[in-house]
Amino acid sequence: MKIQKLFQRTRFGIFLLFGVIVLCTSALCIYTVDTQLTAEYETNSQNIAKSVADASVDILLNRNLATLQSMIDQFVEIQGIRYIYITSENGEYLAHTFVPGIPEEILASDHASTEPVERSIPGLGDFLEVGSPILAGVAGTVHVGMDQDEVALKIQRAIGQQVILICIFLVVGVLASIWLVNLAAKPLAELLAYAVNIAGNKETGNGTEDLLGRDDEVGDLARLFRHISGRSPDSGATGAPPENAR
Amino acid sequence: MRRGLAGLLAVSFAGKKGFETIFGGANMASAQETETGFAGATDDEIVLGMSAAFSGPSRGLGSELYRGAMAYFNHVNDNGGVAGRKITLKLYDDGYQPDPCVRNTMKLMLEDNVFLLFGYVGTPTVTRVLPLLKKFQDEQVYLFFPFTGAQPQREPPYGDFAFNLRASYRQETAGLVNNFLAAGKRKIGVFYQADAYGRSGWAGVRAALDRHGERLAGEATYRRGQRFTGSMREQVEILKSNSPDAVICIGSYAACAAFARDAVDRDLRVPIANLSFVGSENMLQLLSDLGEDVETYSRYLVNSQVVPSYEDTSIPAVREYRELMERYDPSVPEELVQESYSPFPQSFVSLEGFLDAKLMTEILRRLGGSPDREGLEEAVFSVDNYDLGIGERVSFGPDRRQGLQTVYYTVVQEGRFVTLEDWQGWLS
Repeated sequence: MKIQKLFQRTRFGIFLLFGVIVLCTSALCIYTVDTQLTAEYETNSQNIAKSVADASVDILLNRNLATLQSMIDQFVEIQGIRYIYITSENGEYLAHTFVPGIPEEILASDHASTEPVERSIPGLGDFLEVGSPILAGVAGTVHVGMDQDEVALKIQRAIGQQVILICIFLVVGVLASIWLVNLAAKPLAELLAYAVNIAGNKETGNGTEDLLGRDDEVGDLARLFRHISGRSPDSGATGAPPENAR
Repeated sequence: MRRGLAGLLAVSFAGKKGFETIFGGANMASAQETETGFAGATDDEIVLGMSAAFSGPSRGLGSELYRGAMAYFNHVNDNGGVAGRKITLKLYDDGYQPDPCVRNTMKLMLEDNVFLLFGYVGTPTVTRVLPLLKKFQDEQVYLFFPFTGAQPQREPPYGDFAFNLRASYRQETAGLVNNFLAAGKRKIGVFYQADAYGRSGWAGVRAALDRHGERLAGEATYRRGQRFTGSMREQVEILKSNSPDAVICIGSYAACAAFARDAVDRDLRVPIANLSFVGSENMLQLLSDLGEDVETYSRYLVNSQVVPSYEDTSIPAVREYRELMERYDPSVPEELVQESYSPFPQSFVSLEGFLDAKLMTEILRRLGGSPDREGLEEAVFSVDNYDLGIGERVSFGPDRRQGLQTVYYTVVQEGRFVTLEDWQGWLS
């Protein structure tokens, strides 16, 4: 005989509790990882823009644009950085990494702005662009475009790894709780079967001694049932009333 | 410390392709096992280090430059060498890519211990090597006659570590712009490689236009390593939208040939100029291989050159070049050949390599019987009004680190590049 109804709500409650924990933890994890990684990539981009700007001063003053191009070509190899362009103080594009040409969206933008700006360039993707002035802006501005799709992919990957770990905990937790509930339900089922047999005046079976010998509440109840039914101790029980019933 | 680094490099470079070419030489000993104590020179040989493109879409440039240089060095070695020493080239392939070129250079300097660096190919490669030369400036390893007209090796802070023979891109682009403007072609667009080489040429065109109060009519770029089979339609459309009167290309032969092909196919039928680096014969070969009448695509081409036409046998150095190329017909060592390449009997690039080698030999001769790096700069500066055999005389000095200044212009006639004398007539 199985105990179904008694633990149905317990099981449901456990699922619900674990579910809520997983959802809350995942949401917090997604928010934290997304915020922190996005901020980190943005900071990196700004640092790169500043590094290029600082390194560009002498090169620009020497009008050595080939060296300037060589430098930004190396920076653009950094993961997440998709484009770099350098404008003069007059807005002329002195060096850039665009192929096959400078996109219209860039040409139409404010060349001196250093504020982070989100750009969507058809055919290229979505970008977060940061800027840094060269010689306080009097020698031009460096702009660095961070590939948001690539960054989003990396963030999703990081979040995915965390959520997978949380889900593993959920599954293990639920399986463990089911096992524990079943552990509690088994003696209760035996007690129920014993009580039904006593009530029906039937043979109580082989496991009765184990049941009556238990030193927990199930054992107490079994002995109580036996005492109430007036069965002799030699029929598989002590015959003494349970301690709680005395 | 240096030996330690060299040892580390030896491990790092194990398995990389390198090949030592001895021109008639019998001594295969490493330059480090020097008997005279001079770095890169023994009693029997002087070792020069060369990193160039022998693979990839620009392999024709390294191969032709090497062939031209070899033709002259072979001749020198067959006639006793320089003060009894054979001239040896230690070769590495960089595929026209900066990082391999830097690694090759470190190996040449620190492990192979070459006497000097010679005949490097390309701006993106050379611009990355220059800081290395500065870093090891106490060793006095100079870069001689790189196959690039970019400014970084002609100006501070790296100009002191290189000697150039050819005219600069600035001179080539200025000449093209001046001739176009003189012929009434005022709207000039630029198609260029998205790297230091392209930027160098772009800057030259921009500066030349600026002197005439003009601005670039438009620009389009491509990535280094582009093959002829790739499409340049986007670039053509970008430039076409600006309705240029002429386009100046700063690129390698595969990309520039692809651009010329797509420009004609998409009705951008304007003069298309290319710089000397393009490798004119390689470019023309690709266009000829299209199967159409070669003139369909080549009639719009005008290429600037930094050496005279190899067809002009009235020039003494050209006669000598043709004779030695025919006699030796040098080929790239098999160890460096990854993709098939059919060399040209003569080409502008191999003629430049030949002239580089000729001047290099003269400088080594001026070093005397005890060649050492310390005397190298003085030997170069002693070259004053030297007759290389092409009409223009060569001089070097502390403030003059480029030997030649002349730019030549060529157009295609009957399937080959010939000197352009009359711009107006050609453009009309």
